[in-house]
Formats: sequence, structure tokens, C-alpha cells
Amino acid sequence: MSEAELLWVEKYRPRTLSEVVNQKEVVERLKLFVKERNIPHLLFAGPPGTGKTTVAHALAHDLYGEDYAMHMLELNASDERGIDTIRNKVKEFARSRTAPHVPFKIVLLDESDNMTSDAQQALRRLMELYTGSTRFILIANYPSKIIDPLQSRCAFFRFVALSKEDVVGRLSYIAEREGVRYEEEALDAIYEISEGDMRKAINVFQAAASLGRVTVDSVYRVVGLAKPREVREMIESALSGNFEEARNALRKLMIEYGLSGEDVVKQIHREVFSSDLKIPEEQRVLIADYIGEIHFRMVEGSDEEIQLSALLAWLSLLGKRARR
Amino acid sequence: MRRLPWFIKHRPRTVEEVIDQEEAKREIRAWLEGWLKGKPPAARGLLLYGPPGVGKTSLVEAFARELDLELLELNASDRRRREDLERVVAIAATRRPLRKRLMIILMDEVDGIDPRTDEGGIEVLSRLLESALNPIIMTANDPWKDSLRSIRNKCKLVPFKELTEAQIAALLQRICEREGISCDEKALRLIASRNRGDARAAVNDLQALAENGKVSPEAVERLLDWREKSMNIWRTLGELFYAEEAWRAKRAVTQSEEDYETLLAWINDNIPKKYKDPEDLYRAYDALARATQMLRRAKATGEWGFLRYMFDLMGPGVALAKKGEVSKEKFSFPERIRAMTESKSMREQREELAALIAKRIKSSRARVKAEVLPYLFVIFREGSLEAAAGLSLGYSLSEEMITYLAGKRAEQVVSTAQKLRGGKGERRAERGKGLDGFLR
Repeated sequence: MSEAELLWVEKYRPRTLSEVVNQKEVVERLKLFVKERNIPHLLFAGPPGTGKTTVAHALAHDLYGEDYAMHMLELNASDERGIDTIRNKVKEFARSRTAPHVPFKIVLLDESDNMTSDAQQALRRLMELYTGSTRFILIANYPSKIIDPLQSRCAFFRFVALSKEDVVGRLSYIAEREGVRYEEEALDAIYEISEGDMRKAINVFQAAASLGRVTVDSVYRVVGLAKPREVREMIESALSGNFEEARNALRKLMIEYGLSGEDVVKQIHREVFSSDLKIPEEQRVLIADYIGEIHFRMVEGSDEEIQLSALLAWLSLLGKRARR
Repeated sequence: MRRLPWFIKHRPRTVEEVIDQEEAKREIRAWLEGWLKGKPPAARGLLLYGPPGVGKTSLVEAFARELDLELLELNASDRRRREDLERVVAIAATRRPLRKRLMIILMDEVDGIDPRTDEGGIEVLSRLLESALNPIIMTANDPWKDSLRSIRNKCKLVPFKELTEAQIAALLQRICEREGISCDEKALRLIASRNRGDARAAVNDLQALAENGKVSPEAVERLLDWREKSMNIWRTLGELFYAEEAWRAKRAVTQSEEDYETLLAWINDNIPKKYKDPEDLYRAYDALARATQMLRRAKATGEWGFLRYMFDLMGPGVALAKKGEVSKEKFSFPERIRAMTESKSMREQREELAALIAKRIKSSRARVKAEVLPYLFVIFREGSLEAAAGLSLGYSLSEEMITYLAGKRAEQVVSTAQKLRGGKGERRAERGKGLDGFLR
């Protein structure tokens, strides 16, 4: 056991394009850019945990070497939603001097599908304005949420969900380095749970390893522990008519766990369509309809707790109807 | 000679003379007639409530006169401690009427009974309400006060309406005629509007102006201060949740002294206290959720006119959602505000931690909170101490962050980290320096 430890998603993140084991097609094309020492604007799209951000960093590393961070501005649209913040930072960065041995700087805009279309329009102007000195790499889960004029300015790279071989292979590589004992089926189970999301797979693996030998049981135990029980409990309390208990659970999720209203809505939605939840089939649709409505209102900026309380009240009412 | 205040001099002498309040009159009359038939009604007490100066006390006095009943009045200026009340009221209220003449016990302004200085007063009253052989009538501006709960449940509640400006102006006109003073009609309307709904205050103002000279609009402007008539939060909630009419519910939210953001929080917490039927609950929340949407629209567009609909939805929308009973559960302080205050430092730890890790694993804070912290919780709370301690060192977590992640195991994690750190040969020399390397 070494003394200081890191999250394995950080520790085993590939640093160079050659270290990236999957997304072969993408990596091969990018290596050509490195050879030419020039890149167009790029759009990386694909499901979470498929290596988009990692590949962007590896690309910059291969272009600029160890100190690549000096020539790259990293912004995350989820955390810096305001286009003004983005504009100011990009402007400042683009105007700063470019080191003589570097042909251009890179702006990496992660989770850019979380930007409003207005913000994307503004971004489009920024890209045109600074295209001489700066290349943009946009990263998104859903390319359809990126407006056409931005898409057309970028070379498009599609990242695919990782295969079972990729995930299991990586986990056993890590296990060997970390001296983790595990049963083979446990890695299969992690792959199933991760749905091809490497970040999730590694996080689950590390948490399970901290409990001891990694087994199928310990994997499911971790998943159970990591998923706030409150979501299911909240739904069940509401359906059984215990609104106040449901709302206490909601507050726990939002205040203690720090989940955003959208996180909560997504989790409720997932539960509603899970067969573990015993409700009349047609009610699943009625609930989804209302979820969609309040989700929209939250995106608009309405008070999240009150919107979610209304959803819980709706569940209480449906629960009462189902009992009749 | 001491001048008699006009509001006493011109007090209504008959039930008829009391302005408006027709419904209250009907209810009180029917109730008193029940007493007169010799059998105490189910509720032995009435609680008349409504804004000040609308005729609650006057009406009781007028009824006593009209029905030839004795009247025992106790108001806020009298001491209302347990002993005082026990002596005066208890005897009178349990006395069998000798000459078939009932005695109305009128307790004015019971919401003014101070639970501290008028020790035990409420309890005596409450007991009295179960056994009284004479009608007990109480008045209050704010019947929803916590201190009145035991009384409230044993009484019939009779609401009084606020008077309209026209009604008050007409009253002032009559008094001017009786006093033989000439008055500018505009000035009277101004006095009426400056004393929204409160006849007593309006009459007082009229007298003050008349005794100072001419009653002109300018004089009114000069002399009268705007009388703030805003409702405190408890009254707002009472008026809102018990309102049967849209106007009353709307007034409750628009005349509250609390701003609408605060009100939304209070209403949000108190809907489930007052509405227990899921049908009512859902309708109320649907209205409240729509109200916040209207607020959002007002903010987003800068069209503050949208607030009108917000008030419609949070007031009448919530009030008229009820088809069933309103629960007797008491109103409560918004839990969210309390929870947010209590968890402030915890939330700060979470945000700092999320920012720290997001930077290291190149992700967003939002994603770290949703997808990484849950696994850290597992490691810190359920996993091996070495794993938790190792990560604490690897990310130089502060003691507060470790406490946030590990909860009860925080101390064990910290001491394990100290051992791990101290155990390494090359670090031994630094041991004296303590742990500030990671416990910043």
C-alpha cells in the first residue's frame, strides 16, 4: 500500500494518444494532425466516459509536450454557463501572446451541449474572430444539441461506447498494478453496470476494491451504496401518500448530496420506468409527462424544490388513485 | 370637560347600525338564540376575527342591548392572569342564570393575551369553553396565533370583513352631519382610503382633523400618515389557507409584510401541513409550481406585470385547491431555510471538494457531484481506512472535507492518514512538523 493515493480515473488516465487503447479510428486520424502540427476546430461527440476529454488532453500533450496546459484554456460549460464568462476568458486567452514554437493555442470547451443556443451563437462569432491564433475543441454528449453553424465549422469525431473487452481489459490492467484481488465475473458485472462508460467502471472498481476482494456481490453493494437510496424511498413514500416524508428525502438529496434538480428528475425518471417499481403501467406515462413539464420549467429557471414538490404531490395523487 | 372620542360617541347602538358584516350578524344571532332557548350550543364560545375597526366589539355590545343580555367585558387593559380570570370569569360563566338573563362574557383581543405576563390565562379560558353556562365571545385580529390553538379548536370561528372605502366614507359623512361640521367630500374619501378598512382609525383621524380646523384634502395629506396595514406571516398563512373566496386569499398574499420569495417558501412548507387529501395537495402544489413559473417569466422578460399571475396562483390558486377539510396542524417555519442554514458549511465542503476533484480528473463540478462523490462516500464510509486515508493524502483533503466524506469515521481516517504519512522513512524527519501537509 503506497501512502498517497489518487482516484484511479486520474492515475490511469492515458497521457498520450498512443496510450489510448480504444477509439482507434479517432486516434489514428488525430495522430495525422499531430504529424502535420495543425488541427482544424474539432467536435468530439459521444456518450459519457468514452474518452473525449482524455483524448483532447492527449492530443494537446502530443502537440505541445509536457507543458501543454500553458497553451490550452479549459472551460466547462456546465460550470460556466454564462456566455459572458466564456467570452471574457476566451478573449483574454486568445489575445495573450502565443509562444514562438507553437502555431496556435487551444480552447477546450467541455460539455458544450449544455450551452444555450444563444451562447452557441456567440461562440460561433468567437471562433471566427480568433481562428488565426486559436483552435476550438468542443466536447458534447449529444451532437444534435450543437447548432449547425458550429458543427459545420468543426471536424467531427464520434466516440463510441467502450466494448466489453476494452473495459474488462483496462480493469484487469489496473488490478494487476494495484494488486487488487477479484473474481472474473465481477469485471463482467462492472461492464454491464457501466454501459461502456469507462469512468464509471473505474470508479465502481476502485470503490469495490476498497471493500476487499472484488466480487459480483461487492460490486452490486457499491452500486447500491452509491445510488442514493433516497430516490427510491422518496418515490415510494410519495406513492403511499406520505408526502412529507417524500419531501424530506428530496431535501436530503438536494441539500446533503448536492444533486441538482435536473439530477433528481433524471433519477426519478429512471426509477419510474424500472420494473422494480410496482405501479399500474399507464401511470408510468402519466408520471413521465409531468416530469417532462417540470423539467422544462426548471430549465427555464423556476424554483426547483417547488417544482419537484409538485411532482411528488402528483405521485401522491396517482398512488391514491391506484389504491382505489 | 374631557371630550369623548368620536368612535365611542358615534358607536353603533343597534345591530342594524353596524356597517355590513351581514354574515357574521346572522351567525351570531343564530348562536345567541340557541343560548336563549335554554340549551348551550355545541360550541360554547365564538371567536370573532378580522382586521381592527370593523365592528367586532360594537356588534357584540349591540346584540347584548338588543337581546337584553348582561355583558361582562374584559379587554387587554385588564390583567388577565390565571387568578384574575378565574375570579371574574369562571364564577360568572358557570353561574346558572338566575332571572333567565344570560350574561355574555366578552373577551376582547384574546390574541393580545401574553402567554408570559398573563400566566395561565389561556388555559383557564380553554377549560371554561368546555363547561360555560353563559355565552363566551372572544375577538382577535390574528386567530392563528400559536398561543390560541387550544381555544381555537373549541370555538366557532366567525370572520369579519374589512370595510370598503365607500362604507367608511359614508360613515364619516354621517358623523360630520351629526357633529355639524362641513367636510370636503374628497377629504373624507382620502381619510377612508388612508385607513384601509378600519372604521375606528378613520373616525379618530376625522376627529383629529376637525378639532384642528378645516377638514380639507391638504390637511388630510399633511396630518395623516400612511397606516401600514400589512399582515405578519402567521396571519398571512391563516388568511390564505382558510380563505373561501379568491379575494381574501389574494389579499393575504398581496398585503403580507413578507416579500413574495419568502412567502413562496412558507407556503411551500405549509401546504402539506394543512392539506392532507392528495387531491387537494396536488391542486395546491400545481398552482404553487405555476406561480414560481410566472415569477421566473417576470424575471426573465422584465415584465413585472407577470407577478400579478404569480400572486393569483400562490394565493387563490393554493387557497381554492381545497375541497376537503383544512387540517388543524399548526403552521411551521420553512424547513428549507433552516436546513440550508444548518448545512451551510457542509455544502461549502462539498463545493470545494467537487471543484478540487473536477480540476484533477478534468471534469465538471456538476458531474463530479453526481458521478464521483457517491463512490468517494462508499470508500470513506464503508471501504478500508487505508484507501480513504490514501486518497485524503493524495488530494491533500482538509479535515473538514474528510469529515464531510467519512462522517463518523473521520477521526479514524485522519489517524490512519497520519500513520501512513509518518510511516514512510524519508518523511520521518518531518514528523515534528505535524500534519499541516494535508491538514491545512
